[in-house]
Amino acid sequence: MNMPTENQAQAEHRALPPTTHDEYARQEFVRSFKEHLVKHVHGGNRAVYEAKVKPAFQQQHQRAPQTRFEVRDAMVREPHYQMFSTLLRTSQEMMWSSCQIPVQRNLTALNQAIAKRPKKARGSLTLDAALETPKYHTAVDIHCQPGGYHTEFVAEDASAGMVYDRAVYLYAMGQMGPYNNDIGASIVSWLQQQHPTFKPRRILDLGCSVGHSTVPYAQAFPKAEIHAIDVAAPMLRYAHARAEDLGVRVHYSQQNAERTNFADGSFDLVVSHILLHETSQTALQNIVQECHRLLGAGGLMVHAETPPYKGMDPFDAFLLDWDTRNNNEPFWARSHEVDLRALSRQAGFDPDLKFEELIPSAFQIAKAQRSNKFQGGDFGGGGLWFIYGNRK
Amino acid sequence: MSTPGKLKRKAKGERPYFFDDPNIDRVVSMVMGLAGEVAVLHDRLDTLERLVAQHGGPARAALDTYRPDATVAASRAAWRESFLGEVLRIVEIEVEAMSSGDTQPYEQAIAAVENNGRARRQKK
Repeated sequence: MNMPTENQAQAEHRALPPTTHDEYARQEFVRSFKEHLVKHVHGGNRAVYEAKVKPAFQQQHQRAPQTRFEVRDAMVREPHYQMFSTLLRTSQEMMWSSCQIPVQRNLTALNQAIAKRPKKARGSLTLDAALETPKYHTAVDIHCQPGGYHTEFVAEDASAGMVYDRAVYLYAMGQMGPYNNDIGASIVSWLQQQHPTFKPRRILDLGCSVGHSTVPYAQAFPKAEIHAIDVAAPMLRYAHARAEDLGVRVHYSQQNAERTNFADGSFDLVVSHILLHETSQTALQNIVQECHRLLGAGGLMVHAETPPYKGMDPFDAFLLDWDTRNNNEPFWARSHEVDLRALSRQAGFDPDLKFEELIPSAFQIAKAQRSNKFQGGDFGGGGLWFIYGNRK
Repeated sequence: MSTPGKLKRKAKGERPYFFDDPNIDRVVSMVMGLAGEVAVLHDRLDTLERLVAQHGGPARAALDTYRPDATVAASRAAWRESFLGEVLRIVEIEVEAMSSGDTQPYEQAIAAVENNGRARRQKK
């Protein structure tokens, strides 16, 4: 297998669904479409805002817009913003469609291949058919994936995972690397730099989906026991197959991060990667509380997200908020406005040991090619990840 | 309810429309769907031409298993980039006009050539 270069092709592994010539070309088109929107259409929103919308608002109110809501009310009437939005939404729909086609074509055989694991598996897979899918997953299909993370279209289905692994690559336009692992890899290198003596023996990844962020921990801490949980069985079936193909040892189990079956104080490191914004106010509190329960003394909780809105220019916040309304991410906005210190305190953590910071992306080489902006539709383009966490 | 074995095609949740007339959003979606299929055809033809040059007549199976190497992939990505630039030209044009100061109403241009910059008298 040829190793792809950074920011180019996704790395192939046996779990990733094969594509025909045209299926692959259709997916490549979506990636180019998204890149084009980021490079050539997105910036027009700011241009229109500065040249037209802001001056008109100033004339009417004798001040500039102060909140993302004021910006939104003025921008939604602008033809450029309307066109940008309809294109971005369309690109999202085409992305899922292009990833579904090769999976649908060969669903039975692909599911059989996922189910058939080597006899000597390194890790494990434990499903719980009785686990209830939380309402924040069933209210709408998150980020417009038809059926969301959880739907099983046939018995023993892993199709949602197959579709998701490819779509994540297209969504990030390769900016998370050929293995989609940049968020996990970035936290790993942050840990290695900021906490060089920290050698976690047991690590838990919450809301792991296909395990693309879990794998870097297994690679960086080969002696550690790695667990990863998710509420969605199709994701976990795929994640397990994927990890085995990549030769890493991860124990996947179907559990809700709000209340797991692990013992008190049984982990040194509990992490999540862009999980928090896909939950709810109540669930967020429960999850941080659960992290506190699961960590031993001196243990670390680290959650990666896109940065909070606090202190952000109202126009930037408005655009970053695009996904809340237009990409089925209903908790996106609110989750970016949470008082993290209070969240830590209420969960039982010492708020003085709370940290939040922007950490560099592990893919420094690609950084120069990025837009260096956090903006709707440009996932990973910031070249930085926001982390929030607490030491216990 | 979903049909067994059939992946759902629409994501649950109300779809947002951005224009006053949602049919505009629908047409955009169709145009981009069409653009996607044109890009697929372009890649297929490109593959065919490269295989013809290589083998002097490819089998259909050879076409289906063809994967572009890094150079070919980059040249295709560049083609798609310029193709999208053409299809989506209309979106960029207004922004370009604004940043280059090309914002004069067309009536002013007529006035300039017709009567030395004085606006024509509006008819009732």
